[in-house]
Amino acid sequence: MPVDIGERLRALPGGSAVALKLDPREYADHYFAVLNATLRDVGSETDAHTIYVAVTNPAAFVWSLAQALDIPVERISFVDAISHIMMNYSNPLSNATYVESPRALEEIMLRVEYLLRKFPHPRSIVVIDSVNSLAIHNPPELLSEFFHILLNNLKSRSVLTLVLETSEEEQKGIEQMLNLVVDETIDVARMGR
Amino acid sequence: MSPATVLERCATGIDGLDNILGGGIPRGNMVLVAGSVGTGKTTLCLEFLVRGAERGERSLFLSVTEASSKLIQNLSTFEFFRTDLIEQGELVFVDLPSVYDRLGLGKEELAPEEIDIVIRTISDLVRSLGAKRLVLDSLTSVCYRIRKDEQIRDFMLRLGQELNEAGCTSLLVSEIGPTPGRYSLHGVEEAIVDGVILLWNTRRLGDILRVVQIVKMRGTAHSRAQYVLELTPIGILMAPHLKGGLEGGA
Ligand SMILES: Nc1ncnc2c1ncn2[C@@H]1O[C@H](COP(=O)(O)OP(=O)(O)OP(=O)(O)O)[C@@H](O)[C@H]1O
Ligand SMILES: [Mg+2]
Repeated sequence: MPVDIGERLRALPGGSAVALKLDPREYADHYFAVLNATLRDVGSETDAHTIYVAVTNPAAFVWSLAQALDIPVERISFVDAISHIMMNYSNPLSNATYVESPRALEEIMLRVEYLLRKFPHPRSIVVIDSVNSLAIHNPPELLSEFFHILLNNLKSRSVLTLVLETSEEEQKGIEQMLNLVVDETIDVARMGR
Repeated sequence: MSPATVLERCATGIDGLDNILGGGIPRGNMVLVAGSVGTGKTTLCLEFLVRGAERGERSLFLSVTEASSKLIQNLSTFEFFRTDLIEQGELVFVDLPSVYDRLGLGKEELAPEEIDIVIRTISDLVRSLGAKRLVLDSLTSVCYRIRKDEQIRDFMLRLGQELNEAGCTSLLVSEIGPTPGRYSLHGVEEAIVDGVILLWNTRRLGDILRVVQIVKMRGTAHSRAQYVLELTPIGILMAPHLKGGLEGGA
């Protein structure tokens, strides 16, 4: 019986940066498992504050999904960088801060910084969903610079950073870039849940 | 301590800036905060003073362009601001125009002996309060009334010396046009000050991005990189300006 994702994440030293690799053919299944593990197992059960950077799906969608999964949502804040460009901004969440575009990478860093200060915790969690969505909107050099700066900063502050990644054949370069900045990669397909 | 030892620093209290500056501005230095309209000069200076007052360093704001009452109102957008800092006299606001009036300096251009009076008045104010931090907002509006380059030079040198002797670290606001070239009204000021912090706006995706750069800081090995700046209720936040970021007019 393989260990489950939540167990594995909880065992990590503070300040770790981890890539969570999802198989696109089993996306929904893997995504639920990841939400459960990150938001429930490591998030709510350790009382930590989770900052969820939503680039793939709007914050409102992730929020309602978490609620449907019975995940406590009180200690989750969102940085939503996708609703504006999806014209999906009519009902903003009160616990979300909206960035005008996934290309505004500095703005994303600033909002994460803001939320870390606003909700200080010895071991906060930052989830970035996902590197692939960011890669659609940003050139590789810029994205690599962004991840280097952000992950180093979060590491120095003992923040656990989880980067979602779908292993697409045509995006091998992204996987390599991410491997350089994370401490380890967890392949969701190989984990128990 | 011998003069060769590490300079004592005046932490601005703005983490992003203190990180780049290796802990803060060398104590007693005079620094220009240059930028065009609405780039955040006043906000940065206000945070510098509030953070100082919080740490028990008496802080003085000399206002020329905006009424103190309005500035104090703006302070309430800072979550970390406490009104007792003003009530207890740790944070002091003085309107320079009313001082001019009191001294009978009503004219357009200041005569040399009137420039003397301005320097002495500021210096006396700093010493009598025991102020460790000073903001002059703006230097430009003072220099506007001093026409000759050598008089500006003399004014800046003497003011800098007075403040340095008093152990007072100062930020002098310099209002400049949107296209860079120089950092002050006459171009003389920037050569005399110990440091220059430059603020400007750049455009990306139709939105205005505020950018900050330390152009010079004596006694400090600082980065000259550009940082994106955000004014928030918990204070100024900074993030590195990514290299792929579009260059824009200042
Ligand atoms: N705490 C804050 N949060 C968000 N926005 C702010 C905050 N403080 C100030 N601002 C905004 O930033 C703008 C510029 O601020 P500021 O007055 O500091 O600039 P300035 O460079 O001094 O401008 P001026 O050249 O007009 O004196 C203001 O229009 C204000 O709306
Ligand atoms: Mg101003």
